[in-house]
Amino acid sequence: MIPPLLSVERLRKSFGTHEVLGGIDMQVNRGDVTCIVGPSGSGKSTLLRCLNYLEKPTSGVVFLMGEPVGLRWRGSRLHEMSFNELAVQRQRMGMVFQGFHLFPHKTALENVIEAPVIVKGIPRDQAVDEAMALLDKVGMRDRAHYYPAQLSGGQQQRTAIARSLAMKPELMLFDEPTSALDPELVGEVLATMRQLATDGMTMVVVTHEMGFARDVGDHLIFMDGGVIVEQGRPAEVLSRPTQDRTKSFLSRVLLDN
Amino acid sequence: MRRTEPPKNRPSIHDVRPVPVRNVGQWLGGAVLLLLGLLFFQILVTNQNMKWPVVAQYLFDRKILAGLGMTLLLTFLAMVIGLAIGVVLAIMRLSSGRVFRAVSWAWIWFFRGVPPLVQMIFWYNLALLLPETSIGIPFGPKLMSWNTNDLITPFSAAIMGLAFTESAYAAEMIRAGIQAISHGQTEAAATLGMTRGQTLRRIVLPQALRIVIPPIGNDTISMLKFTSLVSVLALPDLLYSAQMIYARTYQTIPLLIVATLWYLVLTTILTLAEHLIEHRLKASPGQIARRKWWEIGLFGHQRAQVQA
Repeated sequence: MIPPLLSVERLRKSFGTHEVLGGIDMQVNRGDVTCIVGPSGSGKSTLLRCLNYLEKPTSGVVFLMGEPVGLRWRGSRLHEMSFNELAVQRQRMGMVFQGFHLFPHKTALENVIEAPVIVKGIPRDQAVDEAMALLDKVGMRDRAHYYPAQLSGGQQQRTAIARSLAMKPELMLFDEPTSALDPELVGEVLATMRQLATDGMTMVVVTHEMGFARDVGDHLIFMDGGVIVEQGRPAEVLSRPTQDRTKSFLSRVLLDN
Repeated sequence: MRRTEPPKNRPSIHDVRPVPVRNVGQWLGGAVLLLLGLLFFQILVTNQNMKWPVVAQYLFDRKILAGLGMTLLLTFLAMVIGLAIGVVLAIMRLSSGRVFRAVSWAWIWFFRGVPPLVQMIFWYNLALLLPETSIGIPFGPKLMSWNTNDLITPFSAAIMGLAFTESAYAAEMIRAGIQAISHGQTEAAATLGMTRGQTLRRIVLPQALRIVIPPIGNDTISMLKFTSLVSVLALPDLLYSAQMIYARTYQTIPLLIVATLWYLVLTTILTLAEHLIEHRLKASPGQIARRKWWEIGLFGHQRAQVQA
């Protein structure tokens, strides 16, 4: 049996006395698109941020290809990784944010080549060639020399996706990638993500786009109150939810669509 | 309100231009100020005590020019050293280490609180407190030592006083600049696998310095003026060179005018440079606003604000 690319075991996260994640167990297989849905405040984004250790879990472990994230054995003693050790691990997990977070002082192209050149030490010419291919893929080739302030939200988000892909990650994390976009710009970003899924990229997507979850997702996780309430094949969960909380959430969300 | 009948043969409202509002107050006030200005100018020109020929004689005097060079050197060194210490202090202040934060806080508290003039005199007299300066193992043997009086010259005392004061102000500005960069920027860099140092150098500092450059420009202008304090250490800067000459020739006012003119020339150049840089930075990256050269004047900044 092939071990899962990512596996989460007994993950808990509290902010002060407020428990945001109350024990999460989940697995992500290579090549799968896992969508996480649920009402706001259900802990979806916190879960995603724990996967690459942007948030430090209170307890529990995330494994990436069998290795614990942010932790390291030294003999029989478990140590926390330093920030720079963690940086090496994070190269394997790309992340796309709700607010894009492109570097405003760099052009689209410079945003994409920054990490390959600085972190991996790839020669600039080669990095530019690869970056242009990626920008072409997300439909941003003709805007390569624009600064983020000169791009629409959708264009910025597609550039951010290319920037993450430039590090050739094993896994891409998407934190509500279309929630900050004007409605008419959502489609172009979802189309880019759909293309990425077709190419076989492993993706974990926190989203409110039920259509995307149904059409592109291989696995759907419904969260509420910091726990996974229900999970399974998207079509199953969406059309025949077994839990009352899932039913009431879906009836509220699907009414709007 | 009583309505008066409109005259019979009034033109259509679309055919005439309205008479603009006349601002009588501006005219009156302007006239008074102009009169005062003329009076001042008359004093400048006709008062024999100004001794313009003496001013002209000393304006390019070798000693004055040497003093000018010293003033520029002091300004440059104090700013460079002050900013370098300031960057380190700002990073320490934002560090998670409690000792780093405390030391940075204490340094800023001390050097912002003590006037640079007091500091300079204090540094100059350091030998009274520590007669010997040595390198060695703390509380252990000394490897090398010097007589403090040999290390502390008027120049090094002046640089310390000016640079340490600047470092405290620069640290606070740079800290504010770094904090103005959104947390999302460092998170995005982290998810790309960048280390702390790479994130600081490549992502945070370039953006923070853009914010901090205008206040640093202002500080440079202030520093240029603060260097005149070094005359108490008998360091031949612009002011002290002028003082030395008038102590000998008793031409006090003309030589003070010489110094004043040079300070004005330097601050004007620095102000223009600062405005140029500021306007370039204010334009969003990639579309640097094309301005006519006369629009970037001494007071271009204020004027643009009034118009906005």
